[in-house]
Amino acid sequence: MADKKTHDVKPHDVKPMKPEEILNLIHANRGTAICVPTMTTGPHWRTIAPDDLSVGCVGFMGGASSLGLGLALAQPDRRVLVLDGDGSLLMQLGSLATVAGAAPRNLVHFLFKNGVYHTSGAQGIPGGLTVDFVAMAKGAGYRMVCAIHDIGDFKRRLPEILKSEGPIFVELHTGLADQTPMTARGGVPFPKQVSNLRAKLLKPRA
Amino acid sequence: MPESIPATLIIDTLKDTFREARTALAAEVSEPPKHSHLGWILSVPDTHQKTVLAALDKEEAIRTLTCATEDEATTIAAGLHIGGEPCVLMIQHAGLYASVNTLRGVGMDGQVPIFYMIGLLSREKDKDPSESRHSMVRYAEPLLDTFGVPHARLEGPNDVHLIPDYYRLSRARKGPAVVLVGLETI
Repeated sequence: MADKKTHDVKPHDVKPMKPEEILNLIHANRGTAICVPTMTTGPHWRTIAPDDLSVGCVGFMGGASSLGLGLALAQPDRRVLVLDGDGSLLMQLGSLATVAGAAPRNLVHFLFKNGVYHTSGAQGIPGGLTVDFVAMAKGAGYRMVCAIHDIGDFKRRLPEILKSEGPIFVELHTGLADQTPMTARGGVPFPKQVSNLRAKLLKPRA
Repeated sequence: MPESIPATLIIDTLKDTFREARTALAAEVSEPPKHSHLGWILSVPDTHQKTVLAALDKEEAIRTLTCATEDEATTIAAGLHIGGEPCVLMIQHAGLYASVNTLRGVGMDGQVPIFYMIGLLSREKDKDPSESRHSMVRYAEPLLDTFGVPHARLEGPNDVHLIPDYYRLSRARKGPAVVLVGLETI
């Protein structure tokens, strides 16, 4: 569902969505999906979804989509939602082709597009807001791609996005999050997140 | 003198390694994933192991996923591990150099067991890798030593037991472990 009409809206033509509102909606609708937040989606996510079926991409920027892909291939009966950033995705842009090639039906790749490296001081990403990730994901071979600019539209379309066959790519035009991993440090260390999620999925014998 | 290893021997060893890993997981957890395949090869194609990769194309028991970069392969391995799936990374030394931050972040600091088979492309048959005229051959073992990653060389068919040995070691240490493929496979 390449959404040419909304995709063509120029940056700042509409008020960007608040990342926290998007994350709240995803959390409310995710069901038993595994979630992979990264960078500025992390701090708010851990306040609304503590100790749940999530594992953050921490310490290897750009890896969220690959981490999500591995989970999706291992657990094909469960949805995997990647909560990626534009600067992060640029670091491993080839992952779009790898995800599309593997074609996991259970993976949804949300891209929070704000045009900057917010965590390191809001320096502009190469190309800024003009980078067309929807076109890239479509060209790579994602089964369904779209861009969403309005929170009401996102709320309306989210249920369909979460039940459609993947891989799905959703570019979300957002402003800056209230917190970054630098202003809201802490959270469960990555190794502990790994062991916690593995235990929840596989259920160690007593 | 090192010898080339037949692809069939490596693939049979990988199958045994995956079977053992699944048996171990089934004893450890009550809900292991149920798949028809034995395990995964995550590959960024390596000239040195190309006969293995060609043979894997015809293998239904092992799923092969070609990745765009070694960073991706390492991180996909983490996701597979969390979800209970056994996997082996097949890359070449240049890919190791390209992905050391992910090796550090995911494998070492992240304490994720990751087992690599790394081809020493251009390694001279009559030289120890440390004496190679190619820097990409010479630096592989010193780099792994710097990061404290255990490694061993596959120098011939008698060494294939190192594949399950180092796979187990990666699980026991909760981190990366490597076997270096000394000569091009046949």
